[in-house]
Amino acid sequence: MTATGNHIPSESDLIKGCIEGNPEMQKLLYDLYSSKMYGVCLRYAENAEDANDVMQEGFIKVYRSLPKFRSEGSFEGWIRRIFVNTSIEHYRKKTKKYNITEVQENTIEDNELSALDSLATKDILNIINELSPGYKQVFNLHVVEGYSHKEIAEILGITEGTSKSQLARAKGVLKKIIETRTSSNKSDE
Amino acid sequence: MASFEKKLYDFEAIPPQQVWDNIREDLQDEKVTNLYNRKKSKTYYFAIAAASLVIIFIGSYFIKIKNIQKTNPGVASNKTISPEKMKDSMMVNQKILESIIHNPKEKQEIVANDLSAINLPKKYITVAGPEGQPVKISPKAATLIIAADNEFPPKPVWSKKISKWQKIMLSSTVSPTSAGLADLIEIASVNDKIE
Repeated sequence: MTATGNHIPSESDLIKGCIEGNPEMQKLLYDLYSSKMYGVCLRYAENAEDANDVMQEGFIKVYRSLPKFRSEGSFEGWIRRIFVNTSIEHYRKKTKKYNITEVQENTIEDNELSALDSLATKDILNIINELSPGYKQVFNLHVVEGYSHKEIAEILGITEGTSKSQLARAKGVLKKIIETRTSSNKSDE
Repeated sequence: MASFEKKLYDFEAIPPQQVWDNIREDLQDEKVTNLYNRKKSKTYYFAIAAASLVIIFIGSYFIKIKNIQKTNPGVASNKTISPEKMKDSMMVNQKILESIIHNPKEKQEIVANDLSAINLPKKYITVAGPEGQPVKISPKAATLIIAADNEFPPKPVWSKKISKWQKIMLSSTVSPTSAGLADLIEIASVNDKIE
Protein backbone atom coordinates (compact mmCIF):
# COMPACT_ATOMS: atom_id res chain seq x y z
CA MET A 1 0.00 0.00 0.00
CA THR A 2 1.50 3.36 -1.02
CA ALA A 3 0.45 6.99 -0.94
CA THR A 4 1.60 8.16 -4.34
CA GLY A 5 1.21 11.68 -5.71
CA ASN A 6 -1.90 13.47 -4.52
CA HIS A 7 -3.74 10.27 -3.73
CA ILE A 8 -4.63 10.20 -0.05
CA PRO A 9 -5.62 6.78 1.22
CA SER A 10 -8.87 6.31 3.09
CA GLU A 11 -8.83 6.35 6.89
CA SER A 12 -9.16 2.56 7.06
CA ASP A 13 -6.33 2.07 4.55
CA LEU A 14 -4.19 4.49 6.52
CA ILE A 15 -4.85 2.61 9.76
CA LYS A 16 -4.24 -0.75 8.07
CA GLY A 17 -0.98 0.47 6.56
CA CYS A 18 0.26 1.74 9.92
CA ILE A 19 -0.65 -1.55 11.62
CA GLU A 20 1.31 -3.41 8.93
CA GLY A 21 4.28 -1.16 9.76
CA ASN A 22 4.32 0.66 6.43
CA PRO A 23 6.70 3.66 7.02
CA GLU A 24 5.02 5.74 4.33
CA MET A 25 1.62 5.38 6.02
CA GLN A 26 3.11 6.08 9.42
CA LYS A 27 4.57 9.33 8.10
CA LEU A 28 1.28 10.24 6.44
CA LEU A 29 -0.61 9.74 9.70
CA TYR A 30 1.93 11.92 11.47
CA ASP A 31 1.64 14.66 8.83
CA LEU A 32 -2.14 14.62 9.07
CA TYR A 33 -2.42 14.99 12.84
CA SER A 34 0.92 16.30 14.13
CA SER A 35 0.08 20.02 14.13
CA LYS A 36 -3.26 19.51 15.88
CA MET A 37 -1.77 17.21 18.48
CA TYR A 38 1.21 19.47 19.03
CA GLY A 39 -1.31 22.17 19.86
CA VAL A 40 -2.78 19.86 22.52
CA CYS A 41 0.69 19.09 23.89
CA LEU A 42 1.63 22.76 24.13
CA ARG A 43 -1.57 23.53 26.02
CA TYR A 44 -0.83 20.96 28.71
CA ALA A 45 2.94 21.08 28.87
CA GLU A 46 4.97 23.45 30.98
CA ASN A 47 7.36 24.21 28.17
CA ALA A 48 8.17 23.28 24.54
CA GLU A 49 10.64 20.61 25.60
CA ASP A 50 7.98 18.77 27.58
CA ALA A 51 5.54 19.20 24.68
CA ASN A 52 8.05 17.52 22.35
CA ASP A 53 8.44 14.58 24.74
CA VAL A 54 4.67 14.17 25.05
CA MET A 55 4.33 14.44 21.28
CA GLN A 56 6.81 11.61 20.73
CA GLU A 57 5.35 9.41 23.45
CA GLY A 58 1.80 10.09 22.23
CA PHE A 59 2.46 9.14 18.61
CA ILE A 60 4.23 5.92 19.61
CA LYS A 61 1.16 5.07 21.71
CA VAL A 62 -1.11 5.83 18.76
CA TYR A 63 0.82 3.49 16.43
CA ARG A 64 0.86 0.74 19.04
CA SER A 65 -2.82 1.13 19.91
CA LEU A 66 -4.11 1.25 16.32
CA PRO A 67 -5.10 -2.46 16.27
CA LYS A 68 -7.42 -1.68 19.20
CA PHE A 69 -9.19 1.15 17.38
CA ARG A 70 -12.80 0.27 16.65
CA SER A 71 -14.18 2.60 14.02
CA GLU A 72 -17.10 3.52 16.24
CA GLY A 73 -16.18 7.14 16.92
CA SER A 74 -14.05 9.84 15.35
CA PHE A 75 -10.47 8.80 14.66
CA GLU A 76 -9.20 12.29 15.44
CA GLY A 77 -11.12 12.26 18.72
CA TRP A 78 -9.53 8.91 19.59
CA ILE A 79 -6.04 10.28 18.87
CA ARG A 80 -6.75 13.44 20.83
CA ARG A 81 -7.80 11.41 23.89
CA ILE A 82 -4.51 9.52 23.73
CA PHE A 83 -2.62 12.82 23.68
CA VAL A 84 -4.60 14.31 26.55
CA ASN A 85 -4.00 11.19 28.65
CA THR A 86 -0.32 11.11 27.70
CA SER A 87 0.05 14.77 28.68
CA ILE A 88 -1.48 14.08 32.08
CA GLU A 89 0.62 10.94 32.62
CA HIS A 90 3.74 12.85 31.66
CA TYR A 91 2.96 15.51 34.20
CA ARG A 92 2.26 12.87 36.87
CA LYS A 93 5.56 11.14 36.20
CA LYS A 94 7.38 14.40 36.44
CA THR A 95 5.90 15.63 39.64
CA LYS A 96 4.99 12.25 41.19
CA LYS A 97 2.70 13.95 43.62
CA TYR A 98 1.46 17.41 43.66
CA ASN A 99 -0.50 19.14 46.35
CA ILE A 100 -3.97 20.06 45.46
CA THR A 101 -5.59 22.23 48.01
CA GLU A 102 -9.32 22.22 48.01
CA VAL A 103 -10.63 25.73 48.11
CA GLN A 104 -14.01 27.22 48.28
CA GLU A 105 -15.43 27.51 44.81
CA ASN A 106 -15.38 31.07 43.68
CA THR A 107 -18.30 32.07 41.60
CA ILE A 108 -16.39 33.42 38.66
CA GLU A 109 -18.62 33.63 35.69
CA ASP A 110 -17.31 32.56 32.33
CA ASN A 111 -18.25 35.93 30.89
CA GLU A 112 -15.54 37.46 33.07
CA LEU A 113 -13.06 35.57 30.89
CA SER A 114 -14.71 36.79 27.71
CA ALA A 115 -11.89 39.30 27.39
CA LEU A 116 -9.81 36.36 26.20
CA ASP A 117 -12.01 36.03 23.11
CA SER A 118 -10.62 39.20 21.63
CA LEU A 119 -7.05 37.98 21.98
CA ALA A 120 -5.07 36.04 19.43
CA THR A 121 -4.66 32.32 20.12
CA LYS A 122 -0.97 32.75 20.84
CA ASP A 123 -1.69 35.38 23.49
CA ILE A 124 -4.41 33.25 25.04
CA LEU A 125 -1.98 30.40 25.22
CA ASN A 126 0.60 32.60 26.92
CA ILE A 127 -1.93 33.56 29.54
CA ILE A 128 -3.01 29.92 30.08
CA ASN A 129 0.63 28.95 30.44
CA GLU A 130 0.94 31.26 33.42
CA LEU A 131 -1.34 28.91 35.36
CA SER A 132 0.23 26.29 37.59
CA PRO A 133 0.26 22.79 35.99
CA GLY A 134 -2.55 21.51 38.24
CA TYR A 135 -4.85 24.41 37.39
CA LYS A 136 -3.94 24.25 33.74
CA GLN A 137 -4.86 20.58 33.52
CA VAL A 138 -8.28 21.04 35.03
CA PHE A 139 -8.90 24.20 33.00
CA ASN A 140 -7.90 22.51 29.73
CA LEU A 141 -9.88 19.37 30.46
CA HIS A 142 -13.06 21.15 31.49
CA VAL A 143 -13.13 24.39 29.52
CA VAL A 144 -11.34 23.37 26.31
CA GLU A 145 -11.90 19.60 25.96
CA GLY A 146 -15.35 19.61 27.56
CA TYR A 147 -14.82 16.86 30.15
CA SER A 148 -17.20 16.81 33.12
CA HIS A 149 -15.84 17.15 36.66
CA LYS A 150 -16.67 13.49 37.22
CA GLU A 151 -14.54 12.49 34.25
CA ILE A 152 -11.75 14.82 35.31
CA ALA A 153 -11.84 13.32 38.78
CA GLU A 154 -11.36 9.86 37.26
CA ILE A 155 -8.60 10.94 34.89
CA LEU A 156 -6.61 12.83 37.49
CA GLY A 157 -7.41 10.60 40.44
CA ILE A 158 -8.93 13.40 42.47
CA THR A 159 -12.36 14.09 43.87
CA GLU A 160 -15.03 15.87 41.91
CA GLY A 161 -14.97 18.65 44.50
CA THR A 162 -11.26 19.15 44.05
CA SER A 163 -11.72 19.36 40.29
CA LYS A 164 -14.36 22.05 40.75
CA SER A 165 -12.28 24.06 43.21
CA GLN A 166 -9.17 23.78 40.99
CA LEU A 167 -11.15 25.15 38.09
CA ALA A 168 -12.52 28.00 40.15
CA ARG A 169 -9.06 28.90 41.29
CA ALA A 170 -7.69 28.69 37.75
CA LYS A 171 -10.39 31.05 36.55
CA GLY A 172 -9.60 33.42 39.42
CA VAL A 173 -5.93 33.48 38.47
CA LEU A 174 -6.78 34.04 34.81
CA LYS A 175 -9.08 36.91 35.73
CA LYS A 176 -6.29 38.58 37.64
CA ILE A 177 -3.86 38.10 34.76
CA ILE A 178 -6.34 39.63 32.32
CA GLU A 179 -6.97 42.57 34.66
CA THR A 180 -3.25 43.19 35.09
CA ARG A 181 -2.70 43.07 31.33
CA THR A 182 -5.64 45.37 30.66
CA SER A 183 -4.50 47.93 33.23
CA SER A 184 -0.91 47.85 31.94
CA ASN A 185 -2.20 48.35 28.40
CA LYS A 186 -4.27 51.34 29.53
CA SER A 187 -1.28 52.91 31.28
CA ASP A 188 0.78 52.39 28.10
CA GLU A 189 -1.80 54.36 26.14
CA MET B 1 -15.37 36.16 16.64
CA ALA B 2 -14.64 32.66 17.92
CA SER B 3 -14.65 32.07 21.65
CA PHE B 4 -11.32 31.55 23.42
CA GLU B 5 -12.34 27.95 24.17
CA LYS B 6 -12.78 27.24 20.48
CA LYS B 7 -9.54 29.02 19.64
CA LEU B 8 -7.67 26.92 22.17
CA TYR B 9 -9.35 23.69 21.02
CA ASP B 10 -8.42 24.33 17.39
CA PHE B 11 -4.96 25.60 18.21
CA GLU B 12 -2.35 24.04 15.95
CA ALA B 13 1.43 24.35 15.85
CA ILE B 14 4.09 22.72 13.73
CA PRO B 15 6.32 20.47 15.79
CA PRO B 16 10.09 20.52 15.27
CA GLN B 17 11.52 18.03 12.74
CA GLN B 18 13.42 16.32 15.56
CA VAL B 19 10.14 14.97 16.97
CA TRP B 20 9.38 12.95 13.84
CA ASP B 21 13.03 11.78 13.59
CA ASN B 22 12.78 10.38 17.13
CA ILE B 23 9.42 8.74 16.45
CA ARG B 24 10.76 7.16 13.23
CA GLU B 25 13.77 5.79 15.09
CA ASP B 26 11.54 4.34 17.80
CA LEU B 27 9.30 2.72 15.20
CA GLN B 28 12.28 1.22 13.35
CA ASP B 29 13.74 -0.18 16.58
CA GLU B 30 10.36 -1.65 17.43
CA LYS B 31 10.07 -3.20 13.96
CA VAL B 32 13.52 -4.77 14.24
CA THR B 33 12.74 -6.11 17.71
CA ASN B 34 9.41 -7.52 16.54
CA LEU B 35 11.03 -9.17 13.52
CA TYR B 36 13.77 -10.64 15.69
CA ASN B 37 11.24 -11.98 18.18
CA ARG B 38 9.11 -13.42 15.39
CA LYS B 39 12.13 -15.08 13.76
CA LYS B 40 13.34 -16.33 17.11
CA SER B 41 9.99 -17.81 17.99
CA LYS B 42 9.66 -19.47 14.56
CA THR B 43 13.11 -21.03 14.78
CA TYR B 44 12.42 -22.08 18.33
CA TYR B 45 9.20 -23.87 17.42
CA PHE B 46 10.76 -25.51 14.36
CA ALA B 47 13.61 -26.81 16.51
CA ILE B 48 11.17 -28.20 19.07
CA ALA B 49 9.09 -29.87 16.34
CA ALA B 50 12.18 -31.39 14.70
CA ALA B 51 13.56 -32.63 18.02
CA SER B 52 10.20 -34.18 18.91
CA LEU B 53 10.04 -36.01 15.58
CA VAL B 54 13.57 -37.36 16.00
CA ILE B 55 12.81 -38.54 19.55
CA ILE B 56 9.57 -40.23 18.43
CA PHE B 57 11.30 -41.91 15.50
CA ILE B 58 14.26 -43.20 17.54
CA GLY B 59 11.99 -44.22 20.41
CA SER B 60 9.63 -46.20 18.20
CA TYR B 61 12.59 -47.89 16.49
CA PHE B 62 14.07 -49.09 19.79
CA ILE B 63 10.67 -50.19 21.12
CA LYS B 64 10.14 -52.23 17.95
CA ILE B 65 13.56 -53.89 18.27
CA LYS B 66 12.88 -54.66 21.92
CA ASN B 67 9.52 -56.24 21.08
CA ILE B 68 11.11 -58.44 18.41
CA GLN B 69 13.73 -59.61 20.87
CA LYS B 70 11.09 -60.37 23.49
CA THR B 71 8.75 -62.34 21.22
CA ASN B 72 11.43 -64.21 19.24
CA PRO B 73 14.71 -64.38 21.10
CA GLY B 74 16.15 -66.88 18.58
CA VAL B 75 15.40 -64.76 15.57
CA ALA B 76 16.37 -61.46 17.17
CA SER B 77 19.33 -61.00 14.91
CA ASN B 78 17.29 -61.63 11.76
CA LYS B 79 16.06 -58.13 10.95
CA THR B 80 14.39 -59.05 7.65
CA ILE B 81 11.42 -60.88 9.25
CA SER B 82 9.06 -59.02 11.54
CA PRO B 83 7.52 -60.94 14.46
CA GLU B 84 4.02 -60.47 13.04
CA LYS B 85 5.06 -61.82 9.65
CA MET B 86 6.81 -64.77 11.25
CA LYS B 87 3.76 -65.62 13.35
CA ASP B 88 1.44 -65.43 10.34
CA SER B 89 3.72 -67.61 8.28
CA MET B 90 3.96 -70.25 10.99
CA MET B 91 0.19 -70.31 11.41
CA VAL B 92 -0.34 -70.77 7.67
CA ASN B 93 2.16 -73.63 7.66
CA GLN B 94 0.48 -75.25 10.58
CA LYS B 95 -2.95 -75.05 8.95
CA ILE B 96 -1.75 -76.46 5.65
CA LEU B 97 0.03 -79.31 7.38
CA GLU B 98 -3.01 -80.14 9.49
CA SER B 99 -5.30 -80.09 6.48
CA ILE B 100 -2.90 -82.40 4.66
CA ILE B 101 -2.82 -84.89 7.49
CA HIS B 102 -6.47 -84.89 8.55
CA ASN B 103 -8.34 -84.64 5.24
CA PRO B 104 -10.24 -87.97 4.78
CA LYS B 105 -11.09 -87.20 1.16
CA GLU B 106 -7.46 -86.97 0.26
CA LYS B 107 -6.74 -90.18 2.15
CA GLN B 108 -9.34 -92.07 0.08
CA GLU B 109 -7.80 -90.82 -3.14
CA ILE B 110 -4.43 -92.06 -2.02
CA VAL B 111 -5.86 -95.49 -1.22
CA ALA B 112 -7.02 -95.74 -4.77
CA ASN B 113 -3.57 -94.95 -6.00
CA ASP B 114 -0.84 -97.52 -6.50
CA LEU B 115 1.32 -97.13 -3.43
CA SER B 116 3.64 -100.03 -4.19
CA ALA B 117 6.09 -97.85 -6.12
CA ILE B 118 6.49 -95.33 -3.33
CA ASN B 119 9.29 -95.46 -0.85
CA LEU B 120 7.38 -95.03 2.40
CA PRO B 121 9.06 -94.06 5.63
CA LYS B 122 8.40 -96.40 8.55
CA LYS B 123 8.44 -93.88 11.40
CA TYR B 124 8.06 -90.14 12.04
CA ILE B 125 10.58 -88.11 10.15
CA THR B 126 11.71 -84.61 11.05
CA VAL B 127 12.32 -81.91 8.44
CA ALA B 128 13.16 -78.21 8.78
CA GLY B 129 10.13 -75.94 8.40
CA PRO B 130 10.16 -72.58 6.57
CA GLU B 131 11.28 -70.76 9.73
CA GLY B 132 13.85 -73.41 10.54
CA GLN B 133 11.57 -75.00 13.08
CA PRO B 134 11.52 -78.80 13.29
CA VAL B 135 8.42 -80.30 11.59
CA LYS B 136 7.53 -83.88 12.42
CA ILE B 137 5.79 -85.76 9.61
CA SER B 138 4.02 -89.04 10.33
CA PRO B 139 4.38 -92.00 7.92
CA LYS B 140 0.76 -91.47 6.89
CA ALA B 141 1.26 -87.78 6.12
CA ALA B 142 4.48 -88.58 4.30
CA THR B 143 2.56 -91.04 2.09
CA LEU B 144 0.06 -88.34 1.22
CA ILE B 145 2.77 -85.80 0.42
CA ILE B 146 4.63 -88.15 -1.88
CA ALA B 147 1.39 -89.23 -3.57
CA ALA B 148 0.71 -85.60 -4.45
CA ASP B 149 3.30 -85.84 -7.21
CA ASN B 150 1.31 -88.51 -9.05
CA GLU B 151 -0.85 -87.17 -11.83
CA PHE B 152 -3.39 -90.04 -11.59
CA PRO B 153 -5.88 -89.97 -10.00
CA PRO B 154 -6.19 -86.16 -10.38
CA LYS B 155 -6.03 -84.37 -6.99
CA PRO B 156 -6.47 -80.60 -7.66
CA VAL B 157 -7.09 -79.50 -4.05
CA TRP B 158 -4.40 -81.72 -2.61
CA SER B 159 -1.81 -80.70 -5.21
CA LYS B 160 -2.61 -77.03 -4.68
CA LYS B 161 -2.01 -77.33 -0.93
CA ILE B 162 1.27 -79.15 -1.34
CA SER B 163 2.40 -76.70 -4.02
CA LYS B 164 1.66 -73.78 -1.69
CA TRP B 165 3.63 -75.40 1.09
CA GLN B 166 6.51 -76.10 -1.28
CA LYS B 167 6.57 -72.44 -2.32
CA ILE B 168 6.76 -71.32 1.30
CA MET B 169 9.60 -73.75 1.89
CA LEU B 170 11.56 -72.60 -1.17
CA SER B 171 11.08 -68.87 -0.44
CA SER B 172 12.22 -69.29 3.14
CA THR B 173 15.43 -67.40 3.92
CA VAL B 174 15.85 -69.15 7.26
CA SER B 175 16.05 -72.75 6.01
CA PRO B 176 16.85 -72.52 2.32
CA THR B 177 16.49 -75.75 0.38
CA SER B 178 16.53 -76.61 -3.29
CA ALA B 179 14.71 -79.87 -2.63
CA GLY B 180 10.95 -80.30 -2.66
CA LEU B 181 9.09 -81.63 0.36
CA ALA B 182 8.54 -85.02 -1.28
CA ASP B 183 12.28 -85.29 -1.98
CA LEU B 184 13.08 -84.53 1.66
CA ILE B 185 10.73 -87.29 2.79
CA GLU B 186 12.20 -89.79 0.36
CA ILE B 187 15.74 -88.95 1.50
CA ALA B 188 14.65 -89.32 5.11
CA SER B 189 13.00 -92.64 4.25
CA VAL B 190 16.18 -93.96 2.58
CA ASN B 191 18.22 -92.95 5.64
CA ASP B 192 15.67 -94.73 7.79
CA LYS B 193 16.10 -97.96 5.77
CA ILE B 194 19.88 -97.78 5.94
CA GLU B 195 19.71 -97.44 9.70
